[in-house]
Amino acid sequence: MNDKMAIVDCESDDLLCVRDSESFDNNKPSIWLNDDNDDIDIQQFFHKVESDEIIYQTKKKRCKMIGKYVMGDMLGEGSYAKVKEALDSQTLCRRAVKILKKKKLRRIPNGEENARREIQLLKSLRHKNVIELVDVMIDEEKQKMYMVMEYCVGGLQDMLESTPDKKFPTWQAHGYFCQLLDGLEYLHSQGIVHKDIKPSNLLLTLDGTLKISDLGVAEALDLYAADDTCYTSQGSPAFQPPEIANGNEKFHGFKVDIWSSGVTLYNLTTGQYPFEGDNIYRLFESIGRCQLTIPTDLDPTLQDLLAGMLEKDPETRLSLQLIRKHPWVIRKPARTLDFVPVPPRAGDETHSMTVLPYLFDAYGEASHQGSNEYITERQLNEEQRGSRLPVMTDDLGVGCSTSTADNGAAAAAAEPKRSWRRPTSCLSVKRLSSCRPS
Amino acid sequence: MSIKFSSDPMEYQLCSLLGQCTTDIAVVFLGRYTTNGCLVAMKKYNMEKISRTETELIQDEIILMRQLSHSNLLPCLASFVSGHDVVAISPLMGYGSCHDLILRHFNTGLPELLIAIILRDILQALNYMHQKGMIHRAVRASHILVGSDGARLSGLRYACCVRQNSNNYSRRVHSFPLTTQPNLNWLSPELLQQNLLGYNEKSDVYSLGITCCELANGVVPFADTPTTLMLTEKVRGMAPQLLDCTTYVIYDDTGQPNEDTDCRMNDQMREYSLRKFSEPFHDLNELCLMCDPHERPTPAQLLTHAFFKQNRRNTQPLYELLLPAVPIAEENVPEIQDDLESILAEDKMSALDLCSVNWDFDR
Repeated sequence: MNDKMAIVDCESDDLLCVRDSESFDNNKPSIWLNDDNDDIDIQQFFHKVESDEIIYQTKKKRCKMIGKYVMGDMLGEGSYAKVKEALDSQTLCRRAVKILKKKKLRRIPNGEENARREIQLLKSLRHKNVIELVDVMIDEEKQKMYMVMEYCVGGLQDMLESTPDKKFPTWQAHGYFCQLLDGLEYLHSQGIVHKDIKPSNLLLTLDGTLKISDLGVAEALDLYAADDTCYTSQGSPAFQPPEIANGNEKFHGFKVDIWSSGVTLYNLTTGQYPFEGDNIYRLFESIGRCQLTIPTDLDPTLQDLLAGMLEKDPETRLSLQLIRKHPWVIRKPARTLDFVPVPPRAGDETHSMTVLPYLFDAYGEASHQGSNEYITERQLNEEQRGSRLPVMTDDLGVGCSTSTADNGAAAAAAEPKRSWRRPTSCLSVKRLSSCRPS
Repeated sequence: MSIKFSSDPMEYQLCSLLGQCTTDIAVVFLGRYTTNGCLVAMKKYNMEKISRTETELIQDEIILMRQLSHSNLLPCLASFVSGHDVVAISPLMGYGSCHDLILRHFNTGLPELLIAIILRDILQALNYMHQKGMIHRAVRASHILVGSDGARLSGLRYACCVRQNSNNYSRRVHSFPLTTQPNLNWLSPELLQQNLLGYNEKSDVYSLGITCCELANGVVPFADTPTTLMLTEKVRGMAPQLLDCTTYVIYDDTGQPNEDTDCRMNDQMREYSLRKFSEPFHDLNELCLMCDPHERPTPAQLLTHAFFKQNRRNTQPLYELLLPAVPIAEENVPEIQDDLESILAEDKMSALDLCSVNWDFDR
């Protein structure tokens, strides 16, 4: 499948050649200028090109290392940062690297400060449901900063968007919400107000563990502060509580996170937002009035929880402790058959390492890939048609190896009885001779 | 073992140094339980030098060793805190690990019959663990300990449950084992790939296949290979092999098989190209190293493999097969005792090593 991805990645400038170039040459260029000559046979301009005559060159995946990390494909792009997949070349652990450019950071308000604060906060945190910052690297020359983080397969927002009614089955939403509570409780215990809880900031690891991410606008309360009073907020408008929408000068930080978690839960379970508006003024007006309508087809206990979390007055809004004791939270809903999976990335449902093609390139795949370097449009079409069929030819996606031809060994091994054994590859022989018994 | 071992540090007497742990987090001593004079292995973890994640792993390991009970799994007889150290007491495995055996006596690998005996024991242990819903995740020669009554599997520090979170109904694991760097060469392609397909108990079978090669060849496949190259080779389906005259052909510069015994061919290589392992052994190794985990047999299925037929025919006792290696036993304890004083002194010195204390103000 990596092969296919490479082809899909083909850019127009990779289009190498179109046959019939001679016939193009035969056409006099002057014809194009002579536009009053109407009865020119159109066939003279437009040559039919067979699909196997359009040849693409597969985009080369050039292996790039930053520190000890081998870089892979782009996972996402934000306003001021790119996120790429990476592989720790020592531990072989998958990672995600957030790449910040100083130049871009300067352009956004508080950009540099937010980035610095996020790093400082993440460094001191350690919890199962909070994204872990593994490493930070700075390239002074390129004016870039690399934040190496735990690898996540996707976010709740992408999952919601992949479903027709933009919501999760109750049991799944319940699971994520409980993990959100765990992470949030930890953050609050460390004196940190996240201020930007929303589905797109809740990521999932391979095993489905929820990670609260993006602490870019979070605030660490002063160690000696009397309470959780905050003065600024830069979170997403749709998730802001009435006290911020109404422009209060100061507000309780923790209750802001409760509100936005409430909006998140509302969104996860109904597929809608409790407050909407065409623009930010209308939206804030709607939030400020706080006329909440909760769909009556929801579980009554869930309705009660949502009403408690989306309480206009922060003083009477539920606290984290009360939410934990709420009947809807305590009672785990029964698992139903419906389940929203993490949507495939670039057609790959298994979310396999995107670093592998780069590594194959680095370790000289010439003998294996030679035949696939150029690919015609027809092959591409056929391959796409083939991939649409439900038949899975390689049943484990281990088929990152480019073609089955190079797997002579595996194919031979599959035969029940075989007389010929593949000689050890020169690689292992070399390794062995260099290996001295001690 | 029916004897009850106390967890009082005063009842154990250090005799000599047995070895260092692969990751350097622990030192293993030969000890004597003074109550009954029984020799034991004492694994000492210096908690001052260990990170928080590793502390948790050690804790999990000791708990797991005490929970599981199988004659081919290394048990923990007692554990206690003594000074800066956490000490875990295990029965003494006289021959040490298979890795030690290879280093000291069998540089080009163990004899096939010996491997068959050891492998059978380890398969029993794996079968037991898998039945309990555990994956070992670190099967390797250095975790296989040999005593005069057979082999036992250790290294439970890396083990995990197949069902880690309650949401996981499909029997798949996705977690990448922490601090697993020293075991990378043994890990299965599906574990290393870290994708949504995850992995399961079959991952241990792949590691066992790699261990087979390690035991037979005397060196683990992909030793000296960059880890990233090892990954791509495994993902592409390159299966390591047992080196004998059917697989190990020496080519000269023109690419032709070279029969001459020229100077480039050292003793180790000659040994490989002259010996021959049985067909069932090659077959077993290939089955274990199937790239697709569905095609790999389970440990229970492997136990019925033709390779183990030779165990039944065999009349040679284990100690004879293991010669020239001799076990540590009552008779040869005193002669290795002299080095202990210096080790203990060194140990005391490192305890006094105040300069290396790092205060971590970030926390």
